[in-house]
Amino acid sequence: MKFSFFHLMPWTELTEPPEQWPASNKTFDAKRGKELYDTYIDTMVFAEECGFDWVGCNEHHFSPYGLMTNCNLIGSVLTQRTQKIGLAMLGNLIPLLNPIRVAEEYAMIDVMSGGRLIAGLIRGVPHEYIAYNVVPGESRERLREAVALIIKCWTEPEPFGWEGEFYQYPSVSIWPKPMQRPHPQILMSASNEESAEFAGQHRAMMGMTLIADLKVAQRCIEIYKQSARGHGLEPTPDHILLGYNTCIADTDEEARHHLAEGQRYFHKFLMHSIRDAQRLVVQQSRFFAQEQYGERFVSRLATLNERSIDDMIEAGSVLCGSPKTVLKQIKRIKGELGNGWFNMNMKIGNIPDAVVRRSMELFRDEVLPEAAGL
Amino acid sequence: MPDFVEQKIELSTGPVHFLKGGAGPALLHLHSAAGPRLSPAIEMLSAKHTIYMPTMPGFNGTPAHPNVTNMPDLADLAAAFIQKAIGKGCDVMAESFGGWTALWLAVKHPELVEQLVLEAPAGMRTKGIGGLPPNDPVERDRRLYAVPERAPKDPRYEAAAAGNFKAVGGYTDGETLDAALLESLPKIKARTLLVFGSKEEVVPVEDAGRRLKSGIPHSHLSYIYNAAHAVEFDQPERVARLVGAFLERGEAFVVRTAEVA
Repeated sequence: MKFSFFHLMPWTELTEPPEQWPASNKTFDAKRGKELYDTYIDTMVFAEECGFDWVGCNEHHFSPYGLMTNCNLIGSVLTQRTQKIGLAMLGNLIPLLNPIRVAEEYAMIDVMSGGRLIAGLIRGVPHEYIAYNVVPGESRERLREAVALIIKCWTEPEPFGWEGEFYQYPSVSIWPKPMQRPHPQILMSASNEESAEFAGQHRAMMGMTLIADLKVAQRCIEIYKQSARGHGLEPTPDHILLGYNTCIADTDEEARHHLAEGQRYFHKFLMHSIRDAQRLVVQQSRFFAQEQYGERFVSRLATLNERSIDDMIEAGSVLCGSPKTVLKQIKRIKGELGNGWFNMNMKIGNIPDAVVRRSMELFRDEVLPEAAGL
Repeated sequence: MPDFVEQKIELSTGPVHFLKGGAGPALLHLHSAAGPRLSPAIEMLSAKHTIYMPTMPGFNGTPAHPNVTNMPDLADLAAAFIQKAIGKGCDVMAESFGGWTALWLAVKHPELVEQLVLEAPAGMRTKGIGGLPPNDPVERDRRLYAVPERAPKDPRYEAAAAGNFKAVGGYTDGETLDAALLESLPKIKARTLLVFGSKEEVVPVEDAGRRLKSGIPHSHLSYIYNAAHAVEFDQPERVARLVGAFLERGEAFVVRTAEVA
């Protein structure tokens, strides 16, 4: 079993929920922002000491939900402050970006880190399409074309041109090229059935977050596996990464308390305005090719908001408790879903950073020694 | 779209049928093993080019020319066609089998080829890599067309296919890699655009494409996204946009203009 430490870099200072999307930035305090970046980067660097295999970051826009508008900037810092941990960019929101730029920046991270990049090629959540004013209904086809182009950027031995539907580049030759050959490991989201099929088609690793129901997750994993097999990849547990909000404390009660507080802030302050934007995009566009997936997406967010910590533990939606309890939860989920990776997000909402550190230490000292051998 | 008119010309080796249409500078189009087919891409290009599409001897039921027996001979025939039908050097665009002829044309008659566009050209492929399966029409179509609904529907094409593929064998003798031509690629003077579908499997880029790119001095390789071997049918707008820009602006085609935007 392998583990990734994931950070959203949330803004922790809100006292009132944003009224609408996008969240007003009038209360943003740059001095506090600097402190948070320093703390968060230190925490991510600490993940290497704690035995995590990867440290992961991602991209969000126009929201206190996450201060990482370009995870490659953080990835770049981590290339210089870590030595061996995998750097998982989970990832760039490809349909919103210039794919050539993504190929270049990812190649830089890979070379600067000595070949440690895991390249997340992600479609993103619906509201990001409002932020960058990209037609949500084009997201899947933009992603499909951009992925093909990015792989060409990494693998073509000579300059080439690209004449596509969304992208036209008459002459391309990126410097640097990635260190990993033929290219870095690609990871794609498989959080719904459409995405799972897509990730399999690309023989990518699959990643899934916000698991509300193990049976639905199981279904996505099965679709991913079938799709991957149909495209020449026999998937193993190492191809399956599951994202979990995680809180490990000395006692179950303490962990439940911290997670409950963090989740309360997360849903009340960080997700508040996002939910409205998500709903608008899902209702007003063909972001999901099939309507049912859009409905499921919206209801999944609502479910996660409404559940108690106990309900979430029971449903297999979070990892929470003492090291012994979390080990049991890890075994249960692995047993049911067959994943080889957990992607642990420990800074949920405004959980204090000291609590996050303690959670990481307990992971290192009491969870990992047994879990690594699973 | 301009109408294309069928014409016939007498060359020293025998008669050659050809289609002519469009307006503007001459563009010679050399057909694939399937024979001459008026693709949507050619129709689009004919808005700014006068297109000449000769039917090579033996294709579409036309008589063979006894003294035209191999690929260099076909190139000589194409040169004679340019001189007699067009009257001066011109741009040349060629598909697959036609690309093999066009390469020899550019090697043997450099003065007649101004700019060269080669769409997945044959003649540079290692035997056993790529190609079309002879007895599996479903797999054949999959390798030819990434967008099957855009495959040509004209029943005359299908009717002529068997005879045309037989004609190909007469010129190539079953070879797929022309060693003499490969050695001669550095002699090509014309600026060359190599066009491949992003789903090309018949003339794999990793094999033939690399030989062409490294062998032809002034060459540029471009991918047409979501196209297989028959790029002119799979993605006509993309082919016409790319080839049109290349033919009109030469090396400056890499500079984006307001028209492209």
